[in-house]
Formats: sequence, C-alpha cells, structure tokens
Amino acid sequence: MTTRIVLIRVAILVGLLGAWEIAGRLANPLLYVPPSAVVPALGRLLALHSYPDLAEHLLLTLREIVVAYGLAIAAGLGGGFALGFNRLVGRAYGPILAALYAVPAVVWYPSLMLFFGLDAASKIAFGFLLGFFPITLAVLAGIRQVSPQMLVVARAFGADGLTAFRKVTLPAMLFTLVGGLRTGLALTVIGVIVGEILGSKSGMGSLINHAYGLFRTADYIALVVVTLVLIVGSDALAAVVEHRAQRWIE
Amino acid sequence: MKETLRVRAVQGLSLTALLLAWEGVARAGWVDPLFVPAPSAVLGAFGRIGRAALAGLGDTLLKTAIAYVLAVVIGVGGGLLLGAVRPLRRAVNPFVIALYGMPKILVLPWIVLSLGFGATPAVVYATIHGAFPILVLVTGAVRDVDRNLVTVARAFGARRWQLYWKVVLPAIVPTVLAGMRLGIVFCLLGVLVVEMFAGVRGMGHVLSSLANGFRAPELFAATALVSAASIVIVLSLDVLNDRLSQWRGEIR
Repeated sequence: MTTRIVLIRVAILVGLLGAWEIAGRLANPLLYVPPSAVVPALGRLLALHSYPDLAEHLLLTLREIVVAYGLAIAAGLGGGFALGFNRLVGRAYGPILAALYAVPAVVWYPSLMLFFGLDAASKIAFGFLLGFFPITLAVLAGIRQVSPQMLVVARAFGADGLTAFRKVTLPAMLFTLVGGLRTGLALTVIGVIVGEILGSKSGMGSLINHAYGLFRTADYIALVVVTLVLIVGSDALAAVVEHRAQRWIE
Repeated sequence: MKETLRVRAVQGLSLTALLLAWEGVARAGWVDPLFVPAPSAVLGAFGRIGRAALAGLGDTLLKTAIAYVLAVVIGVGGGLLLGAVRPLRRAVNPFVIALYGMPKILVLPWIVLSLGFGATPAVVYATIHGAFPILVLVTGAVRDVDRNLVTVARAFGARRWQLYWKVVLPAIVPTVLAGMRLGIVFCLLGVLVVEMFAGVRGMGHVLSSLANGFRAPELFAATALVSAASIVIVLSLDVLNDRLSQWRGEIR
C-alpha cells in the first residue's frame, strides 16, 4: 500500500518533468526551458560561471533575513506581551493590529522603499513588518491559553511575578509561541525576497530579476532553485527547533 | 460599558497624539518632508491624486474580484475532490503542500514574461495565490468530516449526491468561509504585487510610480486609500461570516 503510493507519487513527478521537457522543447525557447537545460544551468551557476558574485548576493539576502527576523522577534515579543498583559492596552490596540493585519502588506512596500532606499534597509524593514505580525499574534494567543487558576495557585504558594511567569505562563504558552516564531521566520524570508524582486541592486531577488530581464530563462530557473533551497532550509531549521521545544514542554 | 468607553478613549487619544506628534516632527523639520510628509500634507494630497487613485483602485478591485471567484471555485472544487477521493489525495497531496508552501513570487517573473503586461498575469497570479490556501483548508475539512455522520447517512440509504449535499457541504461551510476570508487578502496581495512588478494600470502601479517619483504625500494618501479599502472588505466578510454562523445556530 505505502510502496504503491510512493510509486504513484514518483510516477506523477516523472510525468510532470516529462511533460515540462516536451513542452520546453516545443515552445518558445526564450520562455520555456526544459529541465534538461536547467540542470547544466544550475551547474554553471554553482560553479560561479554565470554569476561569479553569487556568494555575496546569497550572503546579503541571508544577512537581511537574520537582521529582519531578529527585529521581528524583539518587537513581536515586546508588543505581544505589552498587549497581552495589560487589559486596557490589549483591548485598545488589539483591534487596530488586527485591522492592519487585514491589509495586504505589500501596500507598505513602496513607502518603505521611498524611505529606506533601494538597498538592504528597505528589505529588512519589509521582512520585519511581515514577521512581526504572526509573532505578536502568537504571543497574544499564547497568553490567552494560560489558565488563570494555575497562576492563582502559583501566587498562593508564594511565587513572585517573575517566578510565576517563568514556571506557569511561559511553559503554557510556549507551544503557540514557537509556532508563531516559525511562521514569523517563513514570512520574514518571503518579505525579504519579495522586497528584492520588487526592486533592488543586490541579493538573490536582484539576480532573479537580472536573469529574467535578459531572457536567461535557464539561469533564472537555476536561481529560483537556489533560492528555494534557502527558503526550505530555513523552514527546516525552524521545524527542528520547534520539535525540540515541543518535546521539552512534554 | 464603561470599559468600552475607556478603550475608545485610549484609541482616539493615541491616534490623535500620534498624528499630532508626526505633524510636529514634520513641521519642526526633524524628518525630511521628501520622505515623511506631515499628515496635513498627506490630507492635501488626497485631492490631487483622488481621481487617478480611485480609477486605479477600481481597476485593482476588478482584477481581484475575478481572481477571487476563480480562486474560490478552484479551491473549493479541488478541495472537495481531494478530500473525498482518498487515493487521489494520497497521491497528489505532497505536491499540493509543496506548491502551497512555495513562495509564488519566485514564479512571478516567468508568469509576467509568458502572459505580458496586461490584466491577465495579475489575474492568473492572484488566482494561484488565493486558490492554494483555500484548497488546503477545504481538503482538510472534507477529509475530517465526522465519520459517524457519514455512516448514519449511508445507513439510512443516502445516495452519493445526497451524502455530499446534506452531510459534507454543511459540515465544511465554516472552513470554506474561513478560507474565503483568507483568500481575499491573498488575491488582493497577488494583484498588487503583479501591478507593482510589471503593471501599467491599477493601484500597485500607482503606488510604485508615486514612490519612484518621490511624491511622498501622494504615496501616503494612496497607501491609506488601499489600506482602508482592504480593511473594509475584510471586515465586511467577517460580519457576513458572523451572520452566517448565527444562522447555522452556532454558539460563539
């Protein structure tokens, strides 16, 4: 049963690649490149033939992601706890935050680009903006999950505020919090890359734009593959951390 | 009641304080008005860009509406199919999840390259963008329909279409609505991204050309306009959602 499913999945994958190969060979070679042409392009890219400065662009994108994510964590935790622990603040700013979350974030990007320029700062700002919301909302949701009785009991047994936070609140909300941190990372990564594609001079997004602008379609797909590895890798890392944290709670 | 009043007061006061502080900082010349215009300047800019921005907004919303209808049809239809047919789901689901997780922005250059600079790439991209979350949600909901309900309906001799019409569809309505709520933001986002990337019309194009022209007051005004429009759309979907769940007799 399981092997059959795996076989069917492999067959679908092979079928898709085959269809792509045939379509790529028949159609306009400027737009449609068969997989057989992408593999050598990927080789040329990784051997630094097509873009000798690939490593610098990759590192820049990574740096932007790290900085944006750090800022998003700091602001998300700060904002989330401020909103979650103070009833009035939470009720006043919570709905405003939720309304802003309903706005497609990309509308802020032109303003960020105008303010921060075409360099890394605008990408960091946009990645931060995308990552900030899920982290804040996860903190809020997490705090709501903490049972008030447990807190009362902890206090009755003489725990001070900090101890109660460390021993009761934090463990109870950690599950949700870690999930939010993972979503935040995924969105930060997307924000940085969207920012780079919409306008930049360096970074993976700018290379993608460059290759596409020159109709170097095979190189474009190779760059997309490398970027996907970066994205999937960062999420896999976050997943490992998430599992660790969840096992630690249990 | 008293607390609601206090909440409103805090909201109103902090908003006013923010705007006043912003105006003061801008007037005092602490920030370059080229990048951060005073609220009063933004207010004035509404008049100047009003007609162009409204036309752009209309264009964007029209594309969003078309993409949204397509995304809902594809998402709900595909979700019903994948959720109901177990072998199909087991074979195809990993691909769906992979495509769902893949940032669509990476294929945007290729979509624009293949489809040109008109409304088509925006609609196609936004449809893809919006359909996946709905598809994944609905697939899960159909898969997880209460087995007992299905068994009972079968035992009472329900035909296949009756099973879908009377048991599965009502059971998945909340998920479909949640997906539709999520989908509209994704579709709007998709249209705006394409318009910014390679648009010749629409609000995304308006925003990016204002940014490129360093017309900050107009840019802020236009941003406020799209934001307000999307907040109104999402909030009205929320209200509709609430109404429908009350009608279904849910306890909230």
